[in-house]
Amino acid sequence: MSGRWLAGKVAAALLTLAFVIVFNFFLFRIMGDPTTQLARLPGSSPEQIEKLKADYGLDKPLTGQFVDYVGDTLTLDLGISQRSREPVWDEIKDAIPWTLLLVGVGTLAATLLGSWLGVVAATRRGKRADDGLLSFSLFTYAAPEYWIGIILILVFAVWIPIFPAGLQMSPGVEFNSWWAEVTDVLDHLILPATAMTLMLLGQYFLIMRSSMVDVLTEDFVTVKRATGLPWHRVVRSHAVPNALLPLVTIAAIQFGAVAGGAITIETIFSWPGLGELSFTAINDKDFPVLQGTFLVFSVGVIFANLIADCLYFYLDPRVQSR
Amino acid sequence: MRRRGIAAISFALAAFSAVLAVALPAAAQDDSSSGGSVLRIGWAQDPSTLNPFVGLDEEDYNVWAMNWDLLVNFDPEDLSPAPGIAKSWTVSDDKKTITFKLDPEAKWSDGEPITSTDVKWSLETLGSEGDLFTNYTSNVTRIDTPDDYTVVVHTSKPDARIIGGLFIYILPEHIWGKVPLKDLTGQYKPDLPLVGSGPFVVTEYEHGRIIRMERNPNFRGPEPAFDEVQFIKYGTQDATERALQLGEIDMVMEVSATNFARLGSEPNIETVKSPTPAYTELAFNLCPEDKCPDAQFNPAVQDRDVRQAIAYAIDRERINTIAARETSYPAHGILPEFYKSFYEQPEQDYPLDVDRANQILDDAGWVMGDDGVREKDGERLEFDLYVRSESTYNIQAAKLVAEQTAPIGVKFNVQVVSVDKLTDLTIQKVDGKPAPDFDTFIWGWGGDPYDPSFLLSLFLSTEIGGLSDSFYDNPAYDKLFAEQAGTFDVAERKEIIKKMVAITQRDLPYIVLTYDPNLQAYRTDTVANVEPACPADGGDIICEQVGYAPLSTITPGDASGSGDGGGGQSPGLAVVAAIVFGFGGWMLGLRQSRRREREPLELPE
Repeated sequence: MSGRWLAGKVAAALLTLAFVIVFNFFLFRIMGDPTTQLARLPGSSPEQIEKLKADYGLDKPLTGQFVDYVGDTLTLDLGISQRSREPVWDEIKDAIPWTLLLVGVGTLAATLLGSWLGVVAATRRGKRADDGLLSFSLFTYAAPEYWIGIILILVFAVWIPIFPAGLQMSPGVEFNSWWAEVTDVLDHLILPATAMTLMLLGQYFLIMRSSMVDVLTEDFVTVKRATGLPWHRVVRSHAVPNALLPLVTIAAIQFGAVAGGAITIETIFSWPGLGELSFTAINDKDFPVLQGTFLVFSVGVIFANLIADCLYFYLDPRVQSR
Repeated sequence: MRRRGIAAISFALAAFSAVLAVALPAAAQDDSSSGGSVLRIGWAQDPSTLNPFVGLDEEDYNVWAMNWDLLVNFDPEDLSPAPGIAKSWTVSDDKKTITFKLDPEAKWSDGEPITSTDVKWSLETLGSEGDLFTNYTSNVTRIDTPDDYTVVVHTSKPDARIIGGLFIYILPEHIWGKVPLKDLTGQYKPDLPLVGSGPFVVTEYEHGRIIRMERNPNFRGPEPAFDEVQFIKYGTQDATERALQLGEIDMVMEVSATNFARLGSEPNIETVKSPTPAYTELAFNLCPEDKCPDAQFNPAVQDRDVRQAIAYAIDRERINTIAARETSYPAHGILPEFYKSFYEQPEQDYPLDVDRANQILDDAGWVMGDDGVREKDGERLEFDLYVRSESTYNIQAAKLVAEQTAPIGVKFNVQVVSVDKLTDLTIQKVDGKPAPDFDTFIWGWGGDPYDPSFLLSLFLSTEIGGLSDSFYDNPAYDKLFAEQAGTFDVAERKEIIKKMVAITQRDLPYIVLTYDPNLQAYRTDTVANVEPACPADGGDIICEQVGYAPLSTITPGDASGSGDGGGGQSPGLAVVAAIVFGFGGWMLGLRQSRRREREPLELPE
C-alpha cells in the first residue's frame, strides 16, 4: 500500500517536471529572438547574426529545436550561455553550493527560531510576550526582503561597520589556511543569512503559533494535563509533534518563495548563487542561463514537495493507514 | 546545583567565543595577506570571456586594453595615433601602402619576441573572425612581412583608419595561432597568465567574481606603481558604489547618474565625469519610397522644415539638466566633442528659439489646429516617439521632447518599448527591403576612440538595410565620407568632416540631444596622483578601454592597505558566534535540567 502511495507521489512529481520542461521551452521562445539584441552592436553584419543563430541552433525549425532541447536537458546539457559561452550547467554548478549554503542556513535558522518562538508565543497566548512576538513577526513577514537586506547593510555594514556589506568572501585574498577561508565566508554569510531568516521567520512563526493554539485547546491536552504530566512535557512531547504537521507543508511550499527571495537577497549582497546568476541573466537576456536556473528552481520546488510528502508519511499516521 | 553547572558551561562557551572574537581578526589578517600594492576596481558587470574572438561586451575592452597593445595605440593626450606594437610607420605616395616598423627589443610577457608574424596573424584572423573587430580591415587587400620587424599593409583605396583606427588587438601568434579557428570562435579559453604586451596581464579569472592582473615583467613602458590590478564584481551598481564608500575598493568604473552627485559629496571620494564617443539622439524615419516601399510612418516626418522647427523647440540644456541630472553634455551635431582632432561646433546649431520654430512652421504652411496640433493638407504633426524601457534617461528625455514641442503645435506620443521591439521596428524587412515602422525614436550610439568614421558611416545610403536607422540617403554625403576616409592629413580631413556635419545639421536625420559621459569615482585616500587622460583635461581615470597610460602615474595613497582586500574578519562574526554558542548552551542546560524532572504520577505513554 505504502509503496504504491510513494510511487504515485513520485509519478506526480515527474509529470510536473515534464510539464515544467515543456513550458520552459515555449516560455523562452515567445520572448523573442535573442539575437536581435546583437543587431545594434557596432560591426555586426547580417551574416554574423546568421552565424550566431546557427551557433545557438536558432536557425532550426521549432520542432527540431524542441527535440534537441528535451534530449539535452535530460542529459544535463542545458546549452551554452549566450554571454560567457560557457556551458550553462557549469555556471549553475558553481552557483548551487552558494545558494544551498545561504538558503540552508537561512531556512534552518528560520524554521528552528520561528517554530520555537511560535511555541513560546502560543503557550503565553494573550500575554505581553505573545503580543511582542506577533508584532515582530508580522513586521518581518510584511517587509520586503530587499528592504530588510538594505537596512541590514546600512546598519551593520555602513553605520556600525562590523560586517562586510557584500560578496561571499574577501576579494583577491589568498587564504593560507582553510580555517581563515571558512571564517571569512561565515563572516560574509551572516548578513544575507539574517535577511533570509527574517524573510522566512514570520511565516513559520505564525503557522506554528496558530497550529499550537489549536492543538493546546484539544481534549487530549487536557487529558494529558489531568494525568499530572508537567506543562512543559505536555507541550514538548504531545502538543508540538501534533502542531508540526502544517509547518512541514509550509516549509515545502515556502521553497518557491525562498527561490524568489534568493534572487533579491543574493543580488543585494552580491552573493554568487543561483539568484544572482538569474538576475544577471535577466539583465543580459541570457536565455539559456535563465532557462537553466528556472529549471533548477522548479526541480527544487518539486523535490521539496516530494520530500514533504514523504515526511508526512512518517509524521502523520493517518497518511500511512490510507 | 545542576542547573548552575549547566549555566556555567554556557557562559564559558560564550566567553570562549568572545575571546575568539578578539583573537580571530588578528589571526585572519596574518593568514590572508597577498602582499604588494593592489589597485582594486569594482564593477557590477564583468567580462564574460577573455577571448576577443567572441567577446561582445564593453567591459571586455577594460581588460583587453591593459593586456594587449594595438598596432598603433591611442595617445593619452588626445587619442591621436601613438606608437604601439609599431614603433613608427610611413605612408606611400599613393596612400595605399603603409609600412610599419616594430621594436626588435619588444617581448611578450612570456619572453617570446613580438614579431611581424603576430601582427599579420592578428590583423588577418582577429580582423576577420572576431565578432567586434571585423569592420576595420575591409579595405585591406594584403599584409606582407618582409622581415620579423616590418609589416606592410596594402589597401584597395586610401584608408586613414589603418593608422589610428585599426582597433584590433595584436595577440601572440605563438599561442593563439596554434588553436583551431573553430575553437577560437567557439569555446576557447586562453591559458593564464594571459600572455600580453601591456603593463598588466591577467593571472586569475573567475567569471562573476574577480579578475586579477599582475605586472608584465617585459612591459616596455614605465613601470606602474601598483603590483596588481583587481577587478571585483559586485551584484549591483549600488553595491559597487557602497563598496567604494566603505573603502573595499579604490575605483568604480561606472557610477550611475542618479548617485553621481551624492557620491561626489562623500568624504575621500572624488567623482570624474569624462567625455566619450557616445551620444543620445532623436532619430527620424527618412527612408525614401524607392528604398523602403513598405515603410510605415507619418510622411510629415520627412518634411525638413518640420524637423528644423522641432530642433529649435528642443532645449538640449534642459534635457541634460533634468533627464541626465547634469551628467551629460548638450550636443552640437553628429560628431561628439570627444573627437578633439576633428570636432568643430557647427554653425547651424539650433539654439532654443520657440518663435523661430513657430515661424518656420507658419512659413511652411502648417496651420495650428483646434486641438493645438498643426496640420496641412490633412496631415497632422503628430508622431510616435519610441523609447527603450531600460533607459530612464531616454524615457525622461522623450517626455521633455514632447513637452517642449507641444507649444509649437507638434505632438509626440511617447511609446516605451523593449529594446527588442525597438530593434524590430527599425530593422524589420519586407521582401528583402527595409520596412521601418516608426516616426521617431530616442536611442544612442558609441563610436571608436579616435577615428570618427564609424559614427559618420551611420548616415551613408549604403548602410540602409545595414546600420542606418534614420535611412538617410544623400549622395553628396556619401561622396564626402569616402573622401574623408582616405585623407590622412588631419587638418584636411577635419575640413571635409565639417562639411558632412553641416549637411546633417541642415537635413537633421538625427537631432543629437546629448554627448554622453563616462562617470567614474575613486578614493582619494587609497590612490594618489590620479591624472585623468584620454583625452587630457577632463578625461577618465585610467584611459578605460582605450589604453593604460595613467596606470604608470597613479600611486597607492596614504591609506592604501597592503592588499588584504578588506580581508580579516569583522568583529560581528565573533559576536554572532558568542550569541549562538551562548544560546545553544542555555538551551542545552534547559533540556538537561528538564530531563531530571519526572513526575511520579505520570502514566505510561
